[in-house]
Amino acid sequence: MGDHLARAEDFQNKAEKKLSGWGLFGSKFEDASELFDKSANSFKLAKSWDKAGSTYIKLANCHLKLESKHEAAQAYVDAAHCYKKTNINEAVSCLDNAVNIFCEIGRLSMAARYLKEIAELYESEQNIEQAVVYYEKSADFYENEEVNTSANQCKQKVAQFSAQLEQYQRSIEIYEEIARQSLSNNLLKYGVKGHLLNAGICQLCKGDVIAITNALERYQDLDPTFSGTREYRLLADIAAAIDEEDIGKFTEVVKEFDSMTPLDSWKTTLLLRVKEKLKAKELEEDDLT
Amino acid sequence: MSEVFEGYERQYCELSANLSRHCTAASALDGVTICAAEQKKQKLSDIKAGLDDADTLIRKMDLEARSLQPSMKAALLAKLREYKTDLNNLKSEVKRVTTSSNVSLTARDDLLESGRVDTLAITNTCKKMKILGGRSETLTGCYLWMLGQVSNDQKGRLLMSTERLNQSSDRIKEGRKTMLETEELGVSILQDLHQQRQSLLHAHTTEGSVYSRKYNPLSSRLKNIHARSSLIVPSNQLIWLTCSPN
Repeated sequence: MGDHLARAEDFQNKAEKKLSGWGLFGSKFEDASELFDKSANSFKLAKSWDKAGSTYIKLANCHLKLESKHEAAQAYVDAAHCYKKTNINEAVSCLDNAVNIFCEIGRLSMAARYLKEIAELYESEQNIEQAVVYYEKSADFYENEEVNTSANQCKQKVAQFSAQLEQYQRSIEIYEEIARQSLSNNLLKYGVKGHLLNAGICQLCKGDVIAITNALERYQDLDPTFSGTREYRLLADIAAAIDEEDIGKFTEVVKEFDSMTPLDSWKTTLLLRVKEKLKAKELEEDDLT
Repeated sequence: MSEVFEGYERQYCELSANLSRHCTAASALDGVTICAAEQKKQKLSDIKAGLDDADTLIRKMDLEARSLQPSMKAALLAKLREYKTDLNNLKSEVKRVTTSSNVSLTARDDLLESGRVDTLAITNTCKKMKILGGRSETLTGCYLWMLGQVSNDQKGRLLMSTERLNQSSDRIKEGRKTMLETEELGVSILQDLHQQRQSLLHAHTTEGSVYSRKYNPLSSRLKNIHARSSLIVPSNQLIWLTCSPN
């Protein structure tokens, strides 16, 4: 480890000297960039991620001076990967730079991929608003490049997080859109009922009973097989329970569904919100009487 | 006098035990293969002969009993009645075995007649006890206790079958859960496949244009040479300029 560290420092010093000096034939930037590359590798081997990240940034600067934007962007990406392990904000800023350069070059798909990475980093930090922003941007780029599956995946994440942030209308629209698109595709049509279930749960969170029944009818039109599924029955039963304001029935229905397929945490959170609303409504009614 | 009766009794007991054993053996035979059918026929003829013997024994016992003192007569006649019912059971058994050719029918009859067959076994054990020297009162007493055991036995069997039904419904539920999990897995696999298909198609369409531009290792070197040459020219010019005044 110490060996790598020493070599890395050595390379870095040489590179700095090259930069500051006046190289023959103006080749100083190339040599410097090669030396920076080697030093950054050695830092990585020595596991000193911060130093490696900063070296990669210097490398990127060299490449920018050399007008090789692709190499510069790649160097920024490498820097971000190193910083991922220590300092996430630095990583995000590096990726941002990389994305901008990729946009300039015109490699939008790569830009989209790195935007998704930024969003994932924000997600891991639990910074949901920023994650939503970046997932949206990434979805836009993917759509421009006609890479529909990745676009749909990013949009799904957007919908998931918007529902968590209580932006239900947005997530309903996204889920319905995804369901519509998936219907025509042989490979994806088996996932449609999952999407419709998510959309239905968001509808329930909004709390508008008429809208829910309309929505269920719409889903029935979209997918004729939907009414036979357990998901549809769950939604219909919950809608009925909300109509009758019967919490016991609600809990029973949810428990029955859960006994067959365990509900994941997102659905559990949203259904809990619905239950709370129902309880609040019940208490309100009691107060009035 | 009663020794004669007791002698007959002992004979009858052994005979009926034999017959019941033969009966169960015969009913166990399938009658599907030819040799099994032959064996079955032979067994049935044996059983019929045994039944006839048992009949004669019972008639003899009857005569003996009636010729005895009235005090003993009552007890002996009661015993005789037991033996007669026992014999009737045996006869119906044999009839069932001869007439039934279908295996499932026998199974069904087994299930429904199970009570009676057990009483048969019970009466046999009673007789054995009698042979061993028990008194008739205790005989009827233990006969009644054995009947009680029968109803308990049926209750136990019913409980067991309910238990088994519950177990099978649990197993069905577990199977359904596993099926749903598999379905979810399948859906996610399909989604992955779709994504891979899209990326493959994308790579295929852009391959032509990309390959010549990006993956050519000479291109980056060309760029470098071009960059250096653009720098070399001014330095050349500078040298020429410095040299030119010469």
